[in-house]
Amino acid sequence: MSVSITFLRPFTRLSVPFTLQTKRRILYSTVLQRYMCSKTPTMSNPEKEITSPPEQSEQLELDKWKITMKSNTQEEAVPTVLSSKAEDPLAATRELIEMWRLLGKEVPEFISEEELKTTTDLVSQSSKKKYLRYLFLKERAKKAKLIKKEIKAEARKEKLLETPEKDKQDFMFLRLWDRHINSAMGWKGAQAMQFGQPLVFDMAYEKYMRPVEMKYTVSQLLESEGWNRKNIDPFHLFFCNLKIDGDYHRELVKRYKEKWNKLLITTTEKSYLDLFPKDSIIYLTADSPNVMTNFKHDKIYIVGSFVDKNISPGVSLAKAKRLQLSTERLPLDKYLQWDTGSKNLTLDQMIRILLCLKNTGDWKEALKFVPVRKHSGYMDISQQSIELINTLKKTKTFNSLPTQFLNSRRQKKWHK
Amino acid sequence: MTFCFTRVRGFPKLWKNNSHRILGPGQSYLLLFLKDCGISYQTKWFTLQVVSPQSNKPVNLPIAKASSLRKVEGYNSKQNSSGSHYFAAGSAQKRSQRNPPSKDHVLPSVKKKTLKVFKTIQVPLKPLDSKGWDKLKEDFTGRATFESCIISEMARCGSSLDVAKSLLAWVAAKNNGIVSYDLLVRYLYLCVFHKQTSEVIDVYEIMKSRYKCLETEASTLLIQGLSCSDRWRDTLLLLEDIKKVRVPSKRNYNDCIHGALIHQDSNLAWDLYQELISHDIIPKLETLKTFFDFAKDIKDEQYSNKLLDILLYLRNNQLYPGESFAHSIKTWFESLPGEQWKGQFTTVHKSGQCLGCGKAIESIHLSPEEYEYLKEKVLRDVIDGGDQYRKTTPEELKRFKNFVNFCPPFDIVIDGLNVAKMFPQIRDSELLLEVVSQLAKQNLRLLVLGRKHMLRWKKQEIEMVQKLARCFFTDNISEDDPFLLYATLHSGNQCKFITHDLLRDHKACLPDARSQRLFFKWQQGHQLAITKVVRGARLTFQPSLNHDTVVQTTGDSWHIPYDEDPVKRSSFEVPTKWLCLHRKT
Repeated sequence: MSVSITFLRPFTRLSVPFTLQTKRRILYSTVLQRYMCSKTPTMSNPEKEITSPPEQSEQLELDKWKITMKSNTQEEAVPTVLSSKAEDPLAATRELIEMWRLLGKEVPEFISEEELKTTTDLVSQSSKKKYLRYLFLKERAKKAKLIKKEIKAEARKEKLLETPEKDKQDFMFLRLWDRHINSAMGWKGAQAMQFGQPLVFDMAYEKYMRPVEMKYTVSQLLESEGWNRKNIDPFHLFFCNLKIDGDYHRELVKRYKEKWNKLLITTTEKSYLDLFPKDSIIYLTADSPNVMTNFKHDKIYIVGSFVDKNISPGVSLAKAKRLQLSTERLPLDKYLQWDTGSKNLTLDQMIRILLCLKNTGDWKEALKFVPVRKHSGYMDISQQSIELINTLKKTKTFNSLPTQFLNSRRQKKWHK
Repeated sequence: MTFCFTRVRGFPKLWKNNSHRILGPGQSYLLLFLKDCGISYQTKWFTLQVVSPQSNKPVNLPIAKASSLRKVEGYNSKQNSSGSHYFAAGSAQKRSQRNPPSKDHVLPSVKKKTLKVFKTIQVPLKPLDSKGWDKLKEDFTGRATFESCIISEMARCGSSLDVAKSLLAWVAAKNNGIVSYDLLVRYLYLCVFHKQTSEVIDVYEIMKSRYKCLETEASTLLIQGLSCSDRWRDTLLLLEDIKKVRVPSKRNYNDCIHGALIHQDSNLAWDLYQELISHDIIPKLETLKTFFDFAKDIKDEQYSNKLLDILLYLRNNQLYPGESFAHSIKTWFESLPGEQWKGQFTTVHKSGQCLGCGKAIESIHLSPEEYEYLKEKVLRDVIDGGDQYRKTTPEELKRFKNFVNFCPPFDIVIDGLNVAKMFPQIRDSELLLEVVSQLAKQNLRLLVLGRKHMLRWKKQEIEMVQKLARCFFTDNISEDDPFLLYATLHSGNQCKFITHDLLRDHKACLPDARSQRLFFKWQQGHQLAITKVVRGARLTFQPSLNHDTVVQTTGDSWHIPYDEDPVKRSSFEVPTKWLCLHRKT
């Protein structure tokens, strides 16, 4: 065998310029190369391969990857066997994550010790997968943000380089810096804290939520506070029933950092019942039987800060029932053609709707903040009234059906 | 009866457009509902023929009356009284087929489906050479990498191994002879799919030499692939590997046990089975069937005792074998030497008698202790549930308890809203009154549960209902079903309740498996579903069960309910077919 190689090599080199066609040359050399690197003496004579018909050579090639895979790995495999002696569940999970990445699953690149421990403690495979996917998405979002930031920074640099002179031009007005806007918003916030209408977030749902849901809630609270701060006429926000050093408090401080103590909102451990008269309180909940007709500027609205991923209906309604508060829900069915999805909204959507209502009093304007995926447009009110008139006409002529019709509508209301 | 039957049978041709024909056998006259399908949907009543009044029979509970012999054309389109009870396997599917969901509900799902359709790659049918693959890759316009896309597609449609091999060869040639892990796993899937054991072993060798440990998906596939081969002992090593990161699934155990049984290591198989049970995993029925299938060759006292334990396990967990499993059980029993077991596939009469051997099946009724236990549980977990305000208020609950304690025990509790909305063609209060008055005629003590808004229905009809039956109306924002359950349980074992609700959400409120099972057993025995209402005639109910559907033995006989093959049984239904085994003595 070795003789044939030593013989063939000089032969191909020599023969190339003279006799062989280009195509053949390539085939020849590749076969030789593979032959050399695989180092396995089981192959047939290369001359035979060339002369054999194409179908057969293809058949032979089908299993070739196996040989290369086996031979390539022998050096790699030796050290790894030694290292896998430690029987540690954490290490096993880490290895599992590594293999899952090779498999193309959505797992994060870097995982902290704490996250790894959480993954190990999860019992089922699907929960592990879900948690890792969550980490993966978080990591990806972080990366995308960084890249965006860099691009922006670069663009800013270029702009500064391009237009250094324009900035120096004289201009009639003072430049509106961000800090000016911030202080103006701060003034408005302070004003709202003195004279504004209160809006209460009920923070007493800690025990109903899982840690993930709690995180979502706090994100939504942050966003709502932001919308409120930026509004032209903000609410006076109250975080009621907020236990100091409770889960909520810790998470909020963690997210706001040092800004937490400078926020222009009222946080208290007291209940809203101690702060406001009972008859001026209205608890907003999607399960309420009463529909909100218009925004009342003298009432105190309460929104429960509660995210329930696994839907648990009636929790906030039960709370309002227990405290004997009046409840209301948004008139979503009256104004929107509801498609799918539950009728509880996120906290930031809620506060935007309420802010808009307070400022304009226009439901159509306010309900723009309901996510469009949930409905297929606004109800045509004129058409609705025509329908109602038609049904009333029918009632006069035929006795049996329209009552059924009305009943069926009533049934929808009561039967969930 | 037969006379009027033939007469009316002739009519349908005349009334082609009318979807509802009514023939009331019970009382004095015969009615036809005629539905004008035109503009008004107004219902008209025609009295066609007067039938001579039947002799008055003694008043029984309606269950006894619900005979399947009376072949009456039902008014109602929801159910027909074909003799199957409300929880018979496949009846929910039939109901849903008879009442297709309205268009509003269908539309969103259709929307989603159309969104999901995306362009798929055409998988080649023959092995390609490298040029062919290069060309395919050039044409590919997906976001993911070409190789992983095409191999997933191959795995999806189960294309031939040679095509996959040629792909791997092409990838290896491009990539210094290395094939990435995800391609290998997908290839392994194809090997297992085509049951190419030698290929599986090859891939196993490659993976073992290349990666220091495998992740769970590859291990699962390898266990499945290797269990039939000579290297089945390696499956145990793989199982140990899986244990490092999670509890192995029932599929893993199933494949390992299968491998052990094929290679006649029954002790190992039983050990694995014990391990599986100790993890609180319900094994696959396939696994249990395998034990029965391999029992033919093993004549061992211990082995057969363990098989009987499996049958008891089925009983305790309310599992029902499939048809092929039932056949395996039957063959095993009949193959037992010297015991002369005889098996047959039968059904059980509604009186609770096995039609095969005539023995009585266990009754559905709960023992007094079980009954008290369930009552406590329903009160604590379904109505109260940790927060009384979720479903009611403390005042209302107190009012209800007083009401129930004050009233005599009821015979029938009616879910007012559910019954009133049963047939959309009839006005709600009218229908409720009809049902209540029919039951009141039989001197039954009735309770109607509803919500307060029902008082706004047609005055005189609601007042009549209140006269004929005791009524309890909950607040509009309270739930009425938990009260229905409690009132029925409180009234004692003879009390039944009428609703079409399957009460699954209330069953789910119960925390442990035992009370859920008791609840379902009680529900099967006490729930009545109306199939037909005819004005002035006795109500027709779907027959309710008198026997418990569960695996049972008396030592000399076994009765095993099993799932028939084409019938799809929902989780809240029980099979109707039985395997009856008895020993000749």
